Amino acid sequence: MGKEQQELLAEAKKSIISFDVDKAKEIAKKGLTLGITPAVIISEGFVPGITEVGDLFDRGQLFLPELILAAEAMKAGTTICEAALPKSELKEKKKVVIGTVEGDIHDIGKSIVVSFLMANGFEVYDIGRDAPIENFINKAREVKADVIGSSALLTTTMEGQKKIEEELKEAGLRNKVKTIVGGAPCSQGWADRIGADAYAENAVDAVIKIKKLTGLS
Amino acid sequence: MLEAHAMASGMGGMRTAGDLVARMEMARGMRIKEAKEYVASKLKVSLRELTDPIVMGEVRDELKLGLIAQMPNRPKGIEAKFRIAELLGIEINSVNRFKEKAGLPVR
Amino acid sequence: MMAKTLQRMGDGRMVEMTEAEVRKDIEEGTKDAASRAKIPPLSEDEIKHILDIYTRPERIVSVEPGNEVVLSHDEGTVKINAGVCGGAGLGIDCGRMVASELYERALGADIIEYGHIDYSFKPIRPILADERILVERALLVTTAPFLYGAMPNLGLYTQPEGPFPNPTELLNKGLIKEARESGEGMVEQAVNDMVYIASGIYEAGTDAINLDTTGAFGDLDFAAALTATERLKKKYPDLCIEMGMAGEFILGIHGTITYDGVRLAGLYSHQQVKLAEKAGVTIFGPVCNIVTSRSCAWNIARVITFTKACVKASKIPIHNNMGMGVGGIPLNDTPPVDAVTRASKAAVEICQLDGV
Repeated sequence: MGKEQQELLAEAKKSIISFDVDKAKEIAKKGLTLGITPAVIISEGFVPGITEVGDLFDRGQLFLPELILAAEAMKAGTTICEAALPKSELKEKKKVVIGTVEGDIHDIGKSIVVSFLMANGFEVYDIGRDAPIENFINKAREVKADVIGSSALLTTTMEGQKKIEEELKEAGLRNKVKTIVGGAPCSQGWADRIGADAYAENAVDAVIKIKKLTGLS
Repeated sequence: MLEAHAMASGMGGMRTAGDLVARMEMARGMRIKEAKEYVASKLKVSLRELTDPIVMGEVRDELKLGLIAQMPNRPKGIEAKFRIAELLGIEINSVNRFKEKAGLPVR
Repeated sequence: MMAKTLQRMGDGRMVEMTEAEVRKDIEEGTKDAASRAKIPPLSEDEIKHILDIYTRPERIVSVEPGNEVVLSHDEGTVKINAGVCGGAGLGIDCGRMVASELYERALGADIIEYGHIDYSFKPIRPILADERILVERALLVTTAPFLYGAMPNLGLYTQPEGPFPNPTELLNKGLIKEARESGEGMVEQAVNDMVYIASGIYEAGTDAINLDTTGAFGDLDFAAALTATERLKKKYPDLCIEMGMAGEFILGIHGTITYDGVRLAGLYSHQQVKLAEKAGVTIFGPVCNIVTSRSCAWNIARVITFTKACVKASKIPIHNNMGMGVGGIPLNDTPPVDAVTRASKAAVEICQLDGV
């Protein structure tokens, strides 16, 4: 890859970190003109940008409204690139159903995960807080979800995450969907105990784990 | 977990002078060193003796500051707080409210 | 072959690690905290001190006599009675007055904390009179300092439980201006509730009010707690206010909300305490949450790095939060005594804490 192309990819990353929607669009168009494949502009330009945004958020150097603006720049840039992808390379967005389990009204962590997932190109179905277990199952069935994410902030409501595993088996869906758990009292040990596929320590970790679960990394 | 902390680093509450040192942090915003020195001087004990339940048991009994073990005719609850307020030279909210409601002079 | 020591992970699992591995974790933990908050990492002596504590074979370790500190207990008396938000209680149906006496006499608490089962300010409003009566009665039979605690918990002000649209949901729809306006409305109502309730409880006779897990809803939560503190201190200059935080830095939900001209989003504990002091807080409780996938040694090095900077910056007493999943203590309802005593000793000795 030539110097001009490498500089463009660096500019692509920068456009996301500076939440510059117009710049992201401009870079995407210019990159295509320079002969960089759309997939490379996304994976080596825009994705490192949103990853760094996630890291800055995790360190308290960037805040939720800014993450949303970065996501808008990401969407603007990637939309142009995706339009230029041959149909055979166009990948369907991975779908995530996410909610806070029944009996639990804490949702700030879950909402931040939603923001991160949307910013990273996932199609997210947020079923809200205090969500009955059947809502997780029904929504996953309806949209053909790839992943079900559940959040619980109390040791007394964590049982809901175990129920999701049981209900999925009962519904014959367990092999069709991956599960990930999160929330203050959760741990990898808890995920292992209940048979969940993954545990996310925080929002940044949730994106990494869900990308892994869906074969995107 | 409370007991684990209490064993590792706690002053011991009313077994010793923990509640009194806590009162100085709360009433005057004193840091721990200053609060301990203040209480030790009021009780006429050394800093180390502040957390010695043997010494503090006797001191508390003598000065009527309330004890862990409940004994007849020893100040308890609000009665002990009256004594603590006077000894430490601080206002204790519940003592003042008691005085107001009981028709006693507050200050 | 190097001898192995018994260590705990952040989720409480016991593992074996060599001394060199423990040391490496401590070094990495302090570096992580230092780089995040832009503060000094621990010194070589401090690293060695933590290593010594964490590689001792004894089950229980402690500070030396004379170096003990004051213990205050978040939602203490509530935990005896039932399950409460954040963790299961003991389920001993003895009433909160008896629980207060238990804390004072059986558990040797330096400060007793009394609270409502829901442990948030908003639900107390309609039952304040009942709470006042119970507090008045408990104060007659207890001698130890009495702290009434609750959480600002701004999440309760969002729909459907509260009147305001959820700012995080609005943000996810790209409605930043609307999200901020909703958040500001939440702050105003929460301040109103906190001042009203804390006033009632103070007039019932409490020595102190604890604003617990301040910052749980990010900068909006912190703004509400600081403003409520300022108003309460103007009203009752003698009121002791303890402010316990929710995380090592303030989450930016609003992103631009300020207090005294300082943006709240992104502040670490050594910065949070300065604003708390300004508002009139008497005792400050910094928080550093556990990372369950790392060892307790890694976690405590991180905790101490953040907290040491906070103690240094502060003019008011610092009571470090050290409980389930906080302050280097594993994330279990009943954390193991070996882990608790190690974290307690290390933090008290190195940070020069005023309390825990």
